[in-house]
This record gives sequence, structure tokens and C-alpha cells, in this order.
Amino acid sequence: MRIPCPFCGSRDSREFVHRGDAGPARPADGADAEAMFDYVYQRANPAGLIREHWYHAQGCRNWIVVERDTRSHAVSGGAWPGPAR
Amino acid sequence: MTRRATGGLIDRATPLHFTFDGRALSGFAGDTLASALVANGVRLIGRSFKYHRPRGILTAGSEEPNALVTLRTGAAAEPNTRATTVELFDGLAARSQNRWPSLRFDALAVNQLFAPLFVAGFYYKTFMWPAAFWEKLYEPLIRRAAGLGALSMEPDPDAYDHAHAFCDLLVIGGGPAGLAAALTAGRAGLRVVLANDDPRAGGRLLAENAVVDDVPGHEWAGTAIAELAGMANVRVLARTAVIGVYDGCEYAAVERVADHLPSPVSGQPRQRLWKIVATRAILATGATERPLVFGGNDRPGVMTASAVSTYVNRFAALPGRRAVVTTTSDSGWQTALDLVKAGVTVVAIVDPRRIAPTHHAVTTLIRSGTEIMLGARISDVFGSPVRKVEVVKSNGQVRRLACDLVAMAGGWNPAIGLGGHLGARPQWSAEKHCFLLDEAPPGLAAAGAAAGKFSLGKALADGVAQAVEVCAALGRDCPPPHFAGHDEPADGTPFWHNATPLAMRGKAFVDFQHDVTDSDVALAAREGFTSVEHMKRYTTLGMATDQGRLSQLNGHALLAAATGRAIAEVGTILSRAPWQPVAIGVMAGAHRGAHFRPERRTAGHDWAAEQGATFVDAGLWKRAQWFARPGESDWLETVNREVTMTRQGVGICDVSTLGKIDLMGPDAAVLLDRLYINTMSTLPIGKARYGVMLREDGFVMDDGTVTRLGDEHFYVTTTTANAARVMQHLDFARQVLWPELDVQACSVTENWSTYAVAGPRSRALLAAALPGCDVADAALPYMAATTLRWNGGPLRLARLSFSGELAYEVSVPAQHGDVLVRHLFATGRAFDVVPYGTEALGVMRIEKGHPAGNELNGTTTAADLGLGRMMSRKKDYVGRTMAGREGLTDPARPALVGLVPVDRTSRIRAGGHLLPPGAAATAASDEGYVTSAAYSPTLGHPIALALLANGPSRHGEHVIVHDPVRGADVEAQVCPPVFLDPEGTRLRG
Amino acid sequence: MAEPLILHPVDRPGIATVMARKGVAPGTLNAALGLSLPDGPGAAFAGSRTAIATGPGTWLVLDDHAGADFAGRLAETLAGIAAVSDQSGSYLVHALSGPAARALLQRGLAIDLHPDAFGPGSAAISQIAHIGAVLWQVDDAPTYRIAVWRSYAESFRHWVEVTAVSLDEADQGG
Repeated sequence: MRIPCPFCGSRDSREFVHRGDAGPARPADGADAEAMFDYVYQRANPAGLIREHWYHAQGCRNWIVVERDTRSHAVSGGAWPGPAR
Repeated sequence: MTRRATGGLIDRATPLHFTFDGRALSGFAGDTLASALVANGVRLIGRSFKYHRPRGILTAGSEEPNALVTLRTGAAAEPNTRATTVELFDGLAARSQNRWPSLRFDALAVNQLFAPLFVAGFYYKTFMWPAAFWEKLYEPLIRRAAGLGALSMEPDPDAYDHAHAFCDLLVIGGGPAGLAAALTAGRAGLRVVLANDDPRAGGRLLAENAVVDDVPGHEWAGTAIAELAGMANVRVLARTAVIGVYDGCEYAAVERVADHLPSPVSGQPRQRLWKIVATRAILATGATERPLVFGGNDRPGVMTASAVSTYVNRFAALPGRRAVVTTTSDSGWQTALDLVKAGVTVVAIVDPRRIAPTHHAVTTLIRSGTEIMLGARISDVFGSPVRKVEVVKSNGQVRRLACDLVAMAGGWNPAIGLGGHLGARPQWSAEKHCFLLDEAPPGLAAAGAAAGKFSLGKALADGVAQAVEVCAALGRDCPPPHFAGHDEPADGTPFWHNATPLAMRGKAFVDFQHDVTDSDVALAAREGFTSVEHMKRYTTLGMATDQGRLSQLNGHALLAAATGRAIAEVGTILSRAPWQPVAIGVMAGAHRGAHFRPERRTAGHDWAAEQGATFVDAGLWKRAQWFARPGESDWLETVNREVTMTRQGVGICDVSTLGKIDLMGPDAAVLLDRLYINTMSTLPIGKARYGVMLREDGFVMDDGTVTRLGDEHFYVTTTTANAARVMQHLDFARQVLWPELDVQACSVTENWSTYAVAGPRSRALLAAALPGCDVADAALPYMAATTLRWNGGPLRLARLSFSGELAYEVSVPAQHGDVLVRHLFATGRAFDVVPYGTEALGVMRIEKGHPAGNELNGTTTAADLGLGRMMSRKKDYVGRTMAGREGLTDPARPALVGLVPVDRTSRIRAGGHLLPPGAAATAASDEGYVTSAAYSPTLGHPIALALLANGPSRHGEHVIVHDPVRGADVEAQVCPPVFLDPEGTRLRG
Repeated sequence: MAEPLILHPVDRPGIATVMARKGVAPGTLNAALGLSLPDGPGAAFAGSRTAIATGPGTWLVLDDHAGADFAGRLAETLAGIAAVSDQSGSYLVHALSGPAARALLQRGLAIDLHPDAFGPGSAAISQIAHIGAVLWQVDDAPTYRIAVWRSYAESFRHWVEVTAVSLDEADQGG
């Protein structure tokens, strides 16, 4: 599998560490335990496109967001997690 | 003699000598082992897997199911090598398999008599009773009888290699379609890789008497490959089979670098694994001919028709003298013509269809004395090797014909296995009577026979067309060349079933290698295994080295008929990588034995090795475990000495493997406060603080120290095992969670070489070793840090203690790490310094109750480890909310305690579970487990750390340490987890 | 006949990681560093100094003629605009050249080194035979520099040794 790192370009997936769904947003300080529980454990697990966090451990050591189809493993995009870096 | 006097593509000027089952034989350069055996008239090659039936060569390609031999001798011996894929070399030694005492007289052929018991799935129904017989009788018997071939049981003596390649177009297959595609794309300037399994280019052009561009096909292929090899933008990989298709347009191929030589030249790899990233790929792997299903179709002397043509045309070897050709497709007629041309008597051509392909074929055959039998089929074959066939004519009449060779042509299966590796199922083509790629893997398209375009002219044109399409997709101009080839008749009508009842004929085989017959398929259907995938596993049809290339369609068609469905509905099985058998060694490449994984060594490694250290693996690192002295009887004696000498004097341990991170920037302190349970922003410059990090789910992730080197500069350490994880966590926090913070972070694990100097004499040693540095307690109190110059670079000195003694950590840039350790030990001689390793390090930290990896096991909270008071209530940090969950704050949770055995000579072992005295050893009574254990030379008895329910309130109680795996139960007393100097007077000295 | 492969260590270069502070553009650091920092992946050269972009806003700066305390002096010049970490102990730097140099690297590196894709001034952080490495191309001979983590030096040396032996004519000038 190849992962399109926005800095390094297309690379072998073995250079990366996979974390998971980039959708859930960490609740702000002081948010209740329910919200934090959902953030830590609940996942939509779609059959289809997912945006997920990968870490380019053996490359630029940046976290990126990759769009992948969970059914076919087709990877359709790699981007920075937030505003352009 | 069964070698033709002239003709063939062998090199008659280069004779080669080889042996088969000890028999000396000869062949020529250009032969395969199979063709040389055919040319020597060798008919019996092996015994079948289950029934031990005598078998000969069935095909001429990699799909060969029968001719499995053990090639080479000694450590290089490789079983189950298909003789059809072995390039003959001088001195080759091959042995038949699966027979005892000999190929001709095989004792286990008696299995045939028990055939009715050995039907598909018999192992699910037999060897069950009585249960006690399984281990002592059935299993050893099965082991001895099972399998094909035997391993040498010696390490593989060959070297293997890996390589990476990148291209615009990967052409898989060097036959007419593949060559046409590669030439088209190569001439257009694309970067092309052509992978061809055969040593020679040409594919079927080498086996047939075809003409391309007015020259013999094999000549055209030779010119084509020479042109390709001369193009700078084309890489030709001969003897290279693509074995897998992977996500991201990645392909794996195995190049047989030295298999055609007696042995690799020194240093040369035997085989090389290519990992190819190709923007586009063309699957030009051709098609595999189907056998026909009739009685005795596995007997030596029965071959596929295209194989017969290959032996006759390419290798000038005659598989027989009197042949019967049975065919349901036009291509079989060509084999009959090839045989006639080679001077072989074709007794009859038996074609179930009513119409012959061409008038010319009919007249040629009649003129040479061949009986034309249309609307007829073979029902049975006799003799081993073949002597006679039984034919049922269109009028029902049964005839027996004497012959020594049966050529069978059952139609063609496009070799599209690779196209299914990403999960897409092929689709049935009613027009072509075969499965074709429907949804190909991204970027891949089939061409030529692999795409169902069976005739030569169409195959050439299709190769060009696919390459033109690739060029267009990549924005490259490509005037399409034209390669002229005849479109020979290429139709066929499949006849799947042998209408003669089983009682009136011999076994009819569907999967030859696994001895699966048409009755087995029918049995599977009757027993409810009607899905094509179930039928595969139940009968093992399609699970042999050819992965069903020969067998599956016949099997699926029979299953369809048995279950009243159309083939399209039944579907077909998917091939899985590797598409052909692959040596495990080539997957490993250079990563074997000691080099299985890269090894990491500290700067002090060589020095430690000189001191006779025994090393242990800590992840990829090698760490000195202990330093045995002459006369010491075992490791325990060594470790006890290291602990005692350190606690009474001074010891030095290499702790360079711990993770180290430079954390900098105006918001560095803010980030640290959000990651550690305790506060780091209040840390003064020049001081260090112990910290604990949680995972977001509230469990402890790691611990370490943070040293403040400046207003905006912190030096963070982690455990060895979690170095990478903590770096990722830190990067996630500053890049994803809080990108608004101005923080920079960088791993410096490799930059610093660090040694722990511990013991009552450590200060004196360092004062002597670092004369410019004031190491008095006032100048460098506990948890203080300072930097000085040493040996032309920085030296960081921190007063930190993992051992519980007065101790320091000395760090220098790693390029000075070797010089430093030697300097410390040279200075230390006067103080009787001892090197200590990870075992002594472990004993000392257990004596002090410091949590380490065994306690930071991912299921413990800070509170469990007695660190609850460190959890700040004044700030938020990762894991705080989830750590506050009811289940994680329950005081009844197993929490850290110390254990001392009541009988001071009994050992407590890590992993033992804690039970109340007198309780049954059940999960219901389980109160916790031992995490770390050691013999304490300081206290003179074994000690342990454990997690015990309600632990902190149970000091003084007794528990039973239950270890059913390794030994007797041990009674232990619960105590505080700090066994030595609980007030910490030593380390504050 | 030219040696197919020439590999030798580069002696004791000064090495440091330079990380721009938030909001600081690469151009702001150029004057202090004495070269034009690459903004995307790649290498910049000026005299004895090389800067490799290892990520957005992060560079590995090497100097073959660095004096004592290279990182410390860099940190002073970049105070307030970038953070600097000493990496002089972290890497062993090798120079690799010769007709078989590219083929050797492609044995263990899953990055396309064809001149169309990688040339003088190109750089990549990746792995060679599972060992972390920073690679950049100096000229089109081709000459490369490879910085490998120090702790892996022996494993890397072994891999180069066994792989170099496997190179043949097909691997030269490839």
C-alpha cells in the first residue's frame, strides 16, 4: 500500500504508523466524561471512505490525514490535519 | 530414441549430463528437466499424493501437478520442484518423491485399494475413535504417510536478495501479447519493466510453429527482446515470475537469479524478490490448457495437448510414438498436425464436436493414417504407462485403440489469477467458456489470451492496443506498431462430464496433485458443500501448487452440474498470493538469523563486549545483561555481585537506550503540563523531575524524567520500550491536538550516550573523573542537572537515581560515548568500580519499588502504582477524565505491593497469581498477580512486586502465590513495595 | 576500470536539527544559516554546509567543517526564530558513488531514484533495509550522501557488504 504524504510524496505504507479515525474531535478542557468516553472509544467504522490519522514515523515524522476506502484499501488523498503547515 | 534428429530450440552443441533417481541421463542446453526426461523416454516421474498412483509429466509449464521432484542434494535440496520449470544444467541431480521403497514399487500404492475410504473429507470422518489412539498411533502414521517430498532439515545455504523498481508500465508475461505491449510502450518512451517467467522470450511462440511478421515466431520473439533489452527506458527481467498484486499498484516478483546454475557464484543471490511500483500494468500471462475428465486421465502418458506440442516443437522430444489426440477445441487439432509432422503416428483424433476446425487439418490427418472420430469421446485409459484407450463413438459403439500417448485438449483458462489478488471475482464468459477479469486491480488490464483473445493475430493486436491505452492515459504520444500474425481457429465447446458411469471406468481426475476425482466433487455436493469455496476446502481441489489453474474450472463445472446451476452462478475461486510457490528464503532476503531485524548498539557496546558482557535484546537494542567474571558459576552469582558492589561502592550501567526528546519553544512548558499527570511548568532551570504520562483512556503509558535546560528547553526521557510511542504521542499533541502552541520537538535518543554512575562512592568517582566540576551535594543536589565541557564537547551531569543509591547520569554526544566509558572505568579502578547490566539494574529498582515495564503494562493506572498523589487537580492533561472513571478509582483494584516469601528459600516468580490462603485455585479467588520478582542480595532473600486487590491496606497479610505452570505454590507476606531505605536517605546524601 | 561502488564515511560533520518557531518562514532563517533553505523536500548546498528539509519547517543542517559546539553556536544565531538540537552524535554520514551506486540503494530503498524522479538536490527521509536513513544526491555522477542512525551502523554496514556482493553488470549505469 502507498500513502501520499503531503510533504514527502507517495511512500510505502511501512514507513507509517496507523492510528485510526480522524473524525472524532477531542473535547475541550472541562467537558464531561460522556463526551470524553465517546472520543476515546466510539467509532463509526464505516464500510467505505474514512479519513484517518497516519504518522510518517520513518519519514518526516508528521501526522497526516489519509482518505481510504475501508472496503478496497484505495487511498485517495493525504493532507495535513489542520491548516496547511 | 525419443529425441528428434533435428529441430527444436535446444542447443545441440551443448550436451548436459544429469541424474534422475540415480540414473545417468543426458540432455541439451535449453532443455527443462521435464523435456530431457521425455527425450530419454522416462515415463514414470512420481507417485500421487493420496493414492500413490504412478504419475508422469502432464504439462510443460508452471501449472504442472505431477512431476514434482526433489532437486539437488544436501542442504540445497529442494522438494516439490516442478520438473517442467527446472532449466537443465550440467550435473543436475533429481529424485522422485512420495514413494517407498522405489518409484516402480511403491508400498503405499496399497492406498488405492482403500480408495473408497479415502474420498474427499475422509479425515473428518476417520481417525476419530478411540480418542486415545490419536496421539500415539494415528498422528504418527498420518505424518509418515502425508506430504510430498522431504526437507533437507539443514539451514538454507543460499543467499537471497530484495530490490525495488519503479516504472510507468509493468508488462507481466513475455509472450506475443506481452512483447507487443512492451515494444509499443518502450518505443513511445515509457519506463517499462517486462517480467517473463521463462528464460526465453516468446511464450507460446516457442511451442508452436507460428509465424509473426513473416519470420518464425521464436525468431521474432528473439529480435523483439533484443530490441527491448537495448532500450535505456526498458528493464527486462527474465526468469522472473510476478507472484502477487498488492494495494497501491505494487507488485511482487521473484527473479530466479541462479537456479539455472549448479550453484550460485560466490556472493550471488539464488533468487531476488522485486517490489515493483507500476503506474499501470498489463497482464499478458496467456492461458492454461484444461485437461479433460475421463477415466484414467492421470496415467503416465496422458498429457495436455499444448504440452505435447511444446515437447515436440520446442524441445524436439517425443512423448510417445503412437498417439491418440482427444480435443474439444480447435487447438488440439494443431497438436495432431505437429505430431504428424514430427513423424509420430496419430492413431485417432477424438473430438466430441461434430465439425472439424479446418478442411486442411482433416485431409492432412487422413492422409497420414489418422482415424477422424467426431462426436466421440474417450471414456477410459489403460496401462501405466498408457497402452490403450477406450473410445465411445457417436453411434454408441465402444472401440479400444492401442497407443502410448494421449494428448487431451479441454479448452483454455485465461491465467488471470493475479487479477484476483485484491478480491475481485472474475466473471464467466458464456461466449468463450472461461472466466475473465471483470474488475481488475486498479491500473491493471489483461491482454491477449489472458483476456480471452486466444488466436495469435488477436493477441498481438491486443498487446499493442492495451499499451496504446496506457500511453494515452499517461499523456504520451504513441503511434501504434503492427505485428502481423495469423488468426488460427481458436474455438472450442467444453464437454465437462464423463458420461460413462464410474462403475464402468477408472477414476477420472479433476485435481491431479491432490488426487481429487469427479466423484469427490459429486460427494461434496451431496454432503452440502455446494459453495465453490466450500467445495475447495472440503475436497482440497485447487489447493495444490497450481492453485487450481488446471483443476478449478473442471471442478466448478462438475459442481454446477451436480447442483443444477449454471457455471456463471457457481462462480470460481480466487487465487491468493503467491501465485506460484515461493521459497521462504526469498521473502526474507538478507533478513535471516542474526540479521532478521536490524540491531541497535549503544556507543558503549564494544567496550562492554570487551568486558565479556552477556547481551540481551531490548527491542532492537542489544543491552549488556551482566558481566560475568571468571570463576562465577552462574548468572545469579554475577548479578548478586554487581548489585552488592554497586550498593557498597560504585557501579556504572549504560542507560543510553532510553528515549530522549528535546522539547523547545515558548509553549513547551504548556505542552508538558498537558501531557504529564504532574506539573512540569514549575520546574526550575537546572532541575529534573520524575513524570508519568497517561493514555487518553486513563491508563499509564510511560514514565520518565524531565530536565529543564532553559526557559524554553526541556529534555524529556522515556523508557526504552516506549521511546517511539512517546515521540508519536508528543507529535500528535503538538501537531493535531494543539497546533496553536509554539512548540518544537525532536528525538535525540541517538545523540546522547548516557551512563548511570551509582553507589556511595559515585560522587568521589565523578569528582576524580571530572576535575573541573563541583559535584558536592550543595553544588549538585538531588534532582539537579548541570552542563560542562568535556573532551571538546558538552557533558551533561544529572543527579538522578533509579537504583536508590547516591547516583548520577552522565551524558555526552554519542561519538564520545566510547571514550567516556573507558575514562570512567579507568578513573573508577581506584574506587573498585563495577560494570553492571540490566539484570542488576532490575534487581535494584525492584528493591526500591520503582515501576518499570512489567508494571507499566498498559492495564495499570497511576493510582494502581501508588502514584495517585502525583495526579494534579489543578490542570487538565491527557487521560485525566477517563482515569477518573469509577472502575479505575475503585480501591479494590489490584494495586502495587511488595511480597516476601514466608520461607525465605522459596522463589516467587513473576506471573504467579495471588490467592487467599486456603482458597481454591479458581478465577473467582484470584486477587492479583506478581509483576516483578528477583533475589535481593541486599536483603538476603527473594522479593517481588505485585498488584493485589486492596493491596495498600493489606500489609502484613499472607497470600498464596499460585504458579501452576512452573512450580509449587509459595506463601508470601504482603509488605510495602519499597524494601530498602524507604526514606531515601542514600540518594539524598 | 572504474570501481562499481565507492562508499566511505564522511568525517565528523557537525549536525543539528533546526526547527523554525511558529510563524517563522524559511527565508527568515537563511541569513543566519548562510544558505537558501528548501521549503519543500530537498537539499540546499553552500560551501561545506548542507541543509536537508526533513519536514515542514524542519531541517537537518550538516557542516563538514564545523568547529566545536556547532549546535550551540547555531542556537545562538537562531535564538528566537528557531530551535536547534544537536545531532552530531546521532548520525554516521556516508558518501556513496560509482556506476552501481543507484542499484545498491534500490536494493533496500523503496523510493524511485531514476533521474526523472530524483536528481542533484533531491533528498528523502526513509528507510534502507528497514534502517532509518536520510539520503540526498550531491551531483549527477551520481554521488549520494546517506546519514544513518549511529546505533544501526553495524547492521547497515553488514547490509551494504552482503548486497554489494550481489551487484552485477546489469546493475551498473542503471
